[in-house]
Amino acid sequence: MTICLSIILNFAGCSSKNIEKPSAEALYEVKENNAVNGDVEEFSDEFKIEEVYDPFSGYNRFMTGFNDGAYEYVLKPVSKGYKAVLHVEIRESVRNFFNNLYFPMRFANNIFQGKFSYASEEGARFVLNTTVGIAGLFDPAKSCFELQAHEEDFGQTLGFYGVGSGPHIVLPLLGPSNLRDMISLYPDSLLSPIDYNERRYWTLTDTLAEYLEAKSLENVNYMSLNMDRYEKMRKDAVDLYPYLRDVYEQYRNKQIKE
Amino acid sequence: MKKVYKNVMLMLFFIIVFGQNLAANEQLELKKHFLKKIDEVILVVEDKKLSKDSRNGNIIKCLTPMFDFELMAKLSLGNKWKELSKENQDRFIALYVERMKQSYSSKIDAYKDEKVEVKKIDQSQEGRIAFVTDLVSKEQKLEIVYKFHKPKEKRSDKDNWLIYDVEILGVSILKTDIAQFKEFLQTKSITELMDALSKQS
Repeated sequence: MTICLSIILNFAGCSSKNIEKPSAEALYEVKENNAVNGDVEEFSDEFKIEEVYDPFSGYNRFMTGFNDGAYEYVLKPVSKGYKAVLHVEIRESVRNFFNNLYFPMRFANNIFQGKFSYASEEGARFVLNTTVGIAGLFDPAKSCFELQAHEEDFGQTLGFYGVGSGPHIVLPLLGPSNLRDMISLYPDSLLSPIDYNERRYWTLTDTLAEYLEAKSLENVNYMSLNMDRYEKMRKDAVDLYPYLRDVYEQYRNKQIKE
Repeated sequence: MKKVYKNVMLMLFFIIVFGQNLAANEQLELKKHFLKKIDEVILVVEDKKLSKDSRNGNIIKCLTPMFDFELMAKLSLGNKWKELSKENQDRFIALYVERMKQSYSSKIDAYKDEKVEVKKIDQSQEGRIAFVTDLVSKEQKLEIVYKFHKPKEKRSDKDNWLIYDVEILGVSILKTDIAQFKEFLQTKSITELMDALSKQS
């Protein structure tokens, strides 16, 4: 094969002898271009882009714009005011409190995926933080015992068993999601004490108004602790919707693989 | 015959052992160099006496030799890259590089009391190494993967090994750019893309 190639190249060389010799500059350019194209091909396997299934792109684009506006004109100013009034330690405690409440969801989904050591770590965290950590306001499990939280939700459980993401769907106010993750919100809500449906067991909120209050507090509090994150990310987008969609899908795929 | 066979086996053994040793040495050296660079960057970030602009300038100065922004620019356009005229290629690279520098320096400037720990080194093939690191703060651990490649010809203003992609929590910066540029170019022209990039930096 190489011999064949070299013979062909030799012939090519012979036939071009009569043609005017290219300038050194042109030769350099050709060499550089080849190197560049070589680069692109050398890495092409690694950067094969799997297209995200997106039949609702029109709606998604609209909803991304709506959510971005809601962030800019409502969530951001409210979070800024909230941040100015409350000390960071109080806000961290509010976050810890909500995180602790979502223990049943994380615990169950770790079990569903056979991650028993993570589930037991979650269990130990819950017991410690609910008692010593005063109803979850503090996180002694992490600061004193180095017990880590293991975020798992039903979307990840489905993904773990090979369920594909389905079409991408941007949810009002909640942001990027997909069919699998959207449907999974329901089973996860059954394990959440913050809910507005009639339940036989204890929940923190019972009516829709209470639910919305709790959720708003959780989100404003979260935003106040991660103020610049979204804005810095948004800066890198030439087109916000496909950018956020890709970031979300790549991030979820990584979470599922873990 | 037996002796020849034995010699060949011995040679093979040495090649394998030394080959692995060389690869391991290369990885260790790169790790040392990488951590040293990170320390330099952290020193700059913590120098709060400087104004934000000059701090950003210093961060960029530290980072530029580590990154192959030019390669990232080419890869971000995928096959479209070959279709561009030389002029457009040069302009695109310049714009992309500037955007990357600005984006990186502002992100890194937000670091506060954070530490970088290399937890795994992957070498998928010769000339490519990936460092799986944790950015550890008092609150959380953030997994960041730095992917290095070794260009065939070393450039005088660059390190031996250069970063060509960074994955933050599984989100590859380069992949995201490839996808968003591809979608952008389906309805708009490369000139419009370049205008959008110039507005970002």
